[in-house]
Amino acid sequence: MNSSLFIEISSYQEHKYTESCFGDAVLSKKLPEEQRIISVLSDGLGSGVKANILSSMTTRMAMKFIESDLDLVRSAGIMMQALPICQIRKISYATFSIVDAILDGKTRIYEMDNPQCIIVRDAKQLNVSHHEITADNWKDRIINVYQFVAQEEDRIIIMSDGVTQAGLGNPKYPLGWQREGVWTFIENQVRRKPHISASALAEAIVHEALTKEPEEKAGDDISCTVIYFRKPRKLLLLSGPPFDEEKDKEVAELLDYYDGKTAICGGTTANIIERELCLKCEIDKTTFDPNIPMASVMPGIDLVTEGILTLTDVYRMLKEGIDEDKDNAAVRLTRLLLDSDKIDFVIGTKINEAHQDPNLPMELDIRRNIVKKIFRLLQSKFLKEISVKYV
Amino acid sequence: MEKIEVKICAGTACFVMGAPQIQALEFSAPEDIADRIEIVEVRCMNHCNKGSGYNKGPFVEVNGELIEEATMEKVVAKIRELIAKEDEENC
Repeated sequence: MNSSLFIEISSYQEHKYTESCFGDAVLSKKLPEEQRIISVLSDGLGSGVKANILSSMTTRMAMKFIESDLDLVRSAGIMMQALPICQIRKISYATFSIVDAILDGKTRIYEMDNPQCIIVRDAKQLNVSHHEITADNWKDRIINVYQFVAQEEDRIIIMSDGVTQAGLGNPKYPLGWQREGVWTFIENQVRRKPHISASALAEAIVHEALTKEPEEKAGDDISCTVIYFRKPRKLLLLSGPPFDEEKDKEVAELLDYYDGKTAICGGTTANIIERELCLKCEIDKTTFDPNIPMASVMPGIDLVTEGILTLTDVYRMLKEGIDEDKDNAAVRLTRLLLDSDKIDFVIGTKINEAHQDPNLPMELDIRRNIVKKIFRLLQSKFLKEISVKYV
Repeated sequence: MEKIEVKICAGTACFVMGAPQIQALEFSAPEDIADRIEIVEVRCMNHCNKGSGYNKGPFVEVNGELIEEATMEKVVAKIRELIAKEDEENC
C-alpha cells in the first residue's frame, strides 16, 4: 500500500445569483481505516431550495451506497426512485459525479449527466476509457464508469454544468465556456503552478467561470471539486508543557527531528523549547493585534504563538471562516493548519495555575478541551489526518 | 542617555487582564516620554505564578521595578518618575 500518498479534496461553489442557496451539492468523506476517500457532486433539477433538496438527497444517498459497497446499478435505481417528483416537470432528477479512490491506487469515477470529469497527469489530460451502464427502470439514463490507477501528482476535476455552460447569454461565449475552455484554463494553471492545491484550483476554476458570465453574475449554480493525489504536507503542533518536567527534553527532540513544518502554541512551551534546544525566541511585532497576543520568531520553527487565546480564535475561524484582512498570530496559525494534510498534535497536559484564577475570563479554557474541538473540526470539516499525543 | 526599559508581559493571563492597552505605548506614547523609553514585549515573566493569591496582572517591569495590576496611567507615571530622577541626577 502506497501510504505515503495523500489525497487532498476541495470544493468551491457559487450559487445562481437570483437564489440564496446552492442548487448543487458537494459531499466528501474520508474512510481512514480503508485508506479511501469518496467525493460526490450533484446538480439538482432547477435552482434554489428545490434543487438543493434534490442534490443534497442524491449526495447523501450516493455516499451511503458507495461507502457500503452496494451495487451501483441498484443504488442508482434507488436514488432516482427516492427523489421527490418536480410538480412542474413531472420528473425527479439530479445528476451526480462520484469519485471513489482507494490509496492503493484504484480509483473509480461514476458519472451521470454531469460534464465529463477531467483527469490531469503531467499537465496533460489523461484519457481513461469508460463503459456505460444503465439502471433497469431508467434505460435512458446512462452512467459512465471510469477506472484507473492514480499516481502521485494526478488530479481529478468534477464539476456541474454551471462551469462548462458559464457564459451562455454572453455574446463572447455563444456556446458557453465549454469543457475544452475549462481544460485550457486548468492546463494553464497547472503548468504555471505545478503544485497548486486542490482548494486553490477549485476556487480558480469557479472564479474564472464567473468572469465568463454576463455581468459576472452566476446564471446557474457553479460547482467544482478537485481531488489531488500528492505527498502529504506535515505539521507538528506542540502546545502546553509536559505533565512531567522530565519529558521536556523528549518533547523538544520530537520537534527538532520532525520531518515537516513545526509550530509551538504557548509561552511556557516556547520557553521550554528555547531552553532545551538553546534557541533564541523573539516577539514578532508585525503581528500586533489588540485581541490576540503577538507571535514570536524562533529559528527553525515555522510559527510560535501564545496558547489558549490564540487556539480559541483559531477554532472560531475554522468554524466561521478566516479573517482575511488580518495577519495576527491566530490567522497565521489557522493558515498553517489549513495548508497541512497530516497534523500531529503533541499536547502537554500540565495545568497553568495562573489561568485558574476566577477573576480571569471564562475563555481561558483547559487546553485539552479546545484542542479536542480543533482537531475534530479539522478531521470532519477539512478532512485532515490528525494524530494526538498527550504528554 | 540610556533608555528606560519597559518590559510588558505578553503571557496569556496578562493579556486578558489588559496588557494590550499598555502595548499601545509602542505606537502612541506621550510626547515627553516617547524618546526616552524602549518597549520590550516579553513572554510570561512568571510573576502570575508566584504567591498563592489572586492574579495581580498585567505585570510590567520599568527598569526592573515591578508594577502590579498595571495600567497605562500607572506605567506612564512610573516612567515620568524615573525620568525626573534621572534628570535631577544629571543636573
